[in-house]
Amino acid sequence: MHRIGSLLLAVWLVFSCGAAWAASGHLEITLVPDASNPPSPRMGDRLKFLSVIRNTGGRPAQGVVAWISLVQVDPGREQPMDLEDWSAHKAVTEAVVSPGQEVTVEWPMRLIQSGNYRVVVSAVERQASNVVTSPFADFHVRRKPTVESNRILPVALGIPGGILALMGWRRYHRS
Amino acid sequence: MIVEIRDLRLILGGRPVLNGVDLTMRAGDIYGFLGPNGAGKSTTISVLAGLRPPASGKVEVLGRDPVAERTWIHRRIGVLSEQSGFYEWMAAAEYLKWFSGLSGKRLGEAEATLRLRRVGLDGRDRAPVGTYSRGMKQRLGLARALLNDPELLVLDEPTNGLDPRGRREIHDVLLEMSVNDGVGILICTHLLDDVDRLCTHLGILSKGKTVLEGSVAGLLAGRYAAARYRLRVPAPESAVTLPAGVRVASRSGEWWHVELSGAGDPAAAWRELLDSGLRIEEIHQEGGGLEELYLAATETREAV
Amino acid sequence: MNPAWWIARKESGEILVNGRGLAWLFALTVIMSVLSLLLVSNTELSLLDNAQVVYMVMGTITALGALFAVVLGADAVAGERERGSLMPLLLTSVTPSEIVSGKMGGQASGWTVMYLLGLPYLWAVGSSGQNLLQAIAYLALFGTLTVLGFGFFALGLSARFKSVRTALLTSLISWMLLASPLLLGPSLRQSAVGRGFDAANPFSSSLNAFDSVVIDSQPFSMQTGRLAVALAWFVLTAWYAVRGVRKMEL
Repeated sequence: MHRIGSLLLAVWLVFSCGAAWAASGHLEITLVPDASNPPSPRMGDRLKFLSVIRNTGGRPAQGVVAWISLVQVDPGREQPMDLEDWSAHKAVTEAVVSPGQEVTVEWPMRLIQSGNYRVVVSAVERQASNVVTSPFADFHVRRKPTVESNRILPVALGIPGGILALMGWRRYHRS
Repeated sequence: MIVEIRDLRLILGGRPVLNGVDLTMRAGDIYGFLGPNGAGKSTTISVLAGLRPPASGKVEVLGRDPVAERTWIHRRIGVLSEQSGFYEWMAAAEYLKWFSGLSGKRLGEAEATLRLRRVGLDGRDRAPVGTYSRGMKQRLGLARALLNDPELLVLDEPTNGLDPRGRREIHDVLLEMSVNDGVGILICTHLLDDVDRLCTHLGILSKGKTVLEGSVAGLLAGRYAAARYRLRVPAPESAVTLPAGVRVASRSGEWWHVELSGAGDPAAAWRELLDSGLRIEEIHQEGGGLEELYLAATETREAV
Repeated sequence: MNPAWWIARKESGEILVNGRGLAWLFALTVIMSVLSLLLVSNTELSLLDNAQVVYMVMGTITALGALFAVVLGADAVAGERERGSLMPLLLTSVTPSEIVSGKMGGQASGWTVMYLLGLPYLWAVGSSGQNLLQAIAYLALFGTLTVLGFGFFALGLSARFKSVRTALLTSLISWMLLASPLLLGPSLRQSAVGRGFDAANPFSSSLNAFDSVVIDSQPFSMQTGRLAVALAWFVLTAWYAVRGVRKMEL
């Protein structure tokens, strides 16, 4: 879905060149973190963002697509994140958003990696010439050690050692 | 009859391996099954044990068809096969208990020890079988074959690897089983001494065919008019009257070369000689015994 | 007690008591330990990288379990024959079906030991990550079918070939061929041939199921096709082993 969103964006950019005749949309998007989000999330936690897509114009918005983007903003590591791993809810479509209608969308995600992130929701409608974006929502994901060396060492040394001890005990017992 | 094999034929890989084996045993018989290497002795045993179906001929063990009623027969016979391996990491007593469990019989620690003692393996019953000598393994194999207190015991080279004392001990066990319990014992062996000491009956196989079969005494008596013996007799103080059937063929110092007519019983003849005051210090059988019988039987077949 | 159970008990004893069985287990756990120790220097993996590690450990346990099963299976009949202990077994009242069932029971014991030895490694590398319980459950399900399948296959070859060396060589070549997805990596498996191979290969089915469940957190309903392949492998190899032992020649 993310790729479809990107594709639609690219198609829109190509067709928007010199397309001053295209009608401009009247969509507005808000984006806020859910109140139940942990205040200081860490890897493995789940966050939820809420956005409201509102048609502030006087005519219906046809074929609306809204998608979420995630960017890492740590100095020196700025990069768009592949949402594939973070969330299964990457985009929504609405056939028609009537004038004055509001569509509320929830964007859940699971925090895969530590760092500073920025999330934004964008939307286009079929006949509009511009993309509408929400305000940013920033968050920080705390580190969590995923591999604990103090667990690996006893296992990695203990199990072969235990088998060796068993072999030795058997030999001693037999002799 | 506990074993009755008539004109047994077997083909393996398109090649005839057994071409007419005959073997008849009754309860209490000790049957020596002789023949050169590759004559088909072990193959005959595998047929007798129901592991190979014969191409033709009659095979009955304990009155039943060994192929059709293999499980029934295996519960009642004991076999010490030529390939007699063990799980070398197991202790002997542990092995016997495990092996007995295969037939659904629980063998206690004390009984396992007792059975090992019977074949001369007491004292080492907790050592892994891998540490055993060849002779000890042979004894353990015999103990395994005896686990189900068989009606028929089939032994392929049972005294292989045993020292003279060990052989004697095993002979004693087998004789006791045959005489006291009426167990039929079939022994495949190359050692004519084993046959001489143990066997009441004899079958000689050559190139997959029985060339000679019958009671040992009968076969020897039938082939030789007189059996020849060498006796060490210190100079007799007076003239000796020889029993009927005994003739001194020649003398050489203390050694007398004596012929015993086919019908004569050697034991009775020696007793009579001793009773008459003759001091006999050694008795050796000379040519005309089993060895010549065996060689003659197998050579005849080779010539054919 | 059933003779098959009796034989299985002996086979299990051979693994846990016999020096050779323990030496094999020692060697296999050393491999697992080396793989785990490679991670000690990097404790800050992302959750997905961590899941990838759990997936790798699962694949390794399955591959090593299959290798162990192949060694046990190749020796099961041909080894007994070479050591002369098969004939005494055939001369008891035990039927060939009971012998093969007992041998299969021994295979199951070997895999159980291997699986239990693998669990601490899974826990060590995956307890702070995701889907550890699923990993343990899916390793039990897919690992058992795949590993025992290899063992049964080797057992059938062992009954057929009469020689440990031939049975072991043939089994190992099959093991290497089928376990190659573990070495090839995902990109080579995306070709048409690779996809076809993946679809029919029980090892690939297991690896794909591990990937799907542990890394992508996908549900059981998406694993049914893979489970069918692993199950078919298990049933076919069991049939081959039973047939091999029943038709075994002296």
